[in-house]
Amino acid sequence: MLDLLNAQTLQVADGSNLSWEEAITIAAQPLVDTNIIDPAYVDSIISVVKEKGPYMNIGPQIVLAHARPDSSVHGVGLSLLKTNSAVDFVDAKHPVKLWFVLTATDSQSHLGVIQQLMTLLTDKVAVQKVLEALSVGQILTILQKLDS
Amino acid sequence: MKILAVCQSGLGTSFMVQMNIQAILKAEKVDTSNIQVNHTDVGSATPDAADYFFIESTLASAVGSLPKDRVVLLKTLIDKQETKQHVNDILDKEGISYTAE
Repeated sequence: MLDLLNAQTLQVADGSNLSWEEAITIAAQPLVDTNIIDPAYVDSIISVVKEKGPYMNIGPQIVLAHARPDSSVHGVGLSLLKTNSAVDFVDAKHPVKLWFVLTATDSQSHLGVIQQLMTLLTDKVAVQKVLEALSVGQILTILQKLDS
Repeated sequence: MKILAVCQSGLGTSFMVQMNIQAILKAEKVDTSNIQVNHTDVGSATPDAADYFFIESTLASAVGSLPKDRVVLLKTLIDKQETKQHVNDILDKEGISYTAE
């Protein structure tokens, strides 16, 4: 379950000095480093949010950052940055600590990832534990327990 | 009856809502032989595309051309309870029976 979230794609940061643009950029960095996306994909996400507003704030303190598949995406990917301090996503009405970045190459390939992600996101107890986690190791432990 | 979950890109969040709606219908033992649930982007959400449209509330203006009585605005996309309330309202309105949990 959620094998795309691993020691490489999970990050924990303080967050108190970050803007939402920086939070998304940091969250996406592991996908850039592994060549799943080009940095242009991150720019697309940020422009969509600036244009359309904070609709990617899909649940309390959770953002699912994503943009349409284009030439800057080379594979299906998922990464997560957890900030210990909430960062305002667009405005103060949308404080966020969990910054997921999702990439898709077409309208189908990533649906399995979303199904797995929903297993986590609809589990309020598990989400609360991830919100309280202070290290990548702690988050991995929570995700591994979802399996059993 | 057709239900469409709509989001800006038609990729991620709309599919999450679709999954929640389908899970709710299944849990409530609704006969879904005449109910279709799908997801799409705002550009494809035309009035004749479905009977009901579920969309995140901050995107309301993007679907301003859809009849308001057939649009459900969700405050929290992944909140199954909120979605369930709306699904049940639609089932009541359409006279479709379901098992309330």
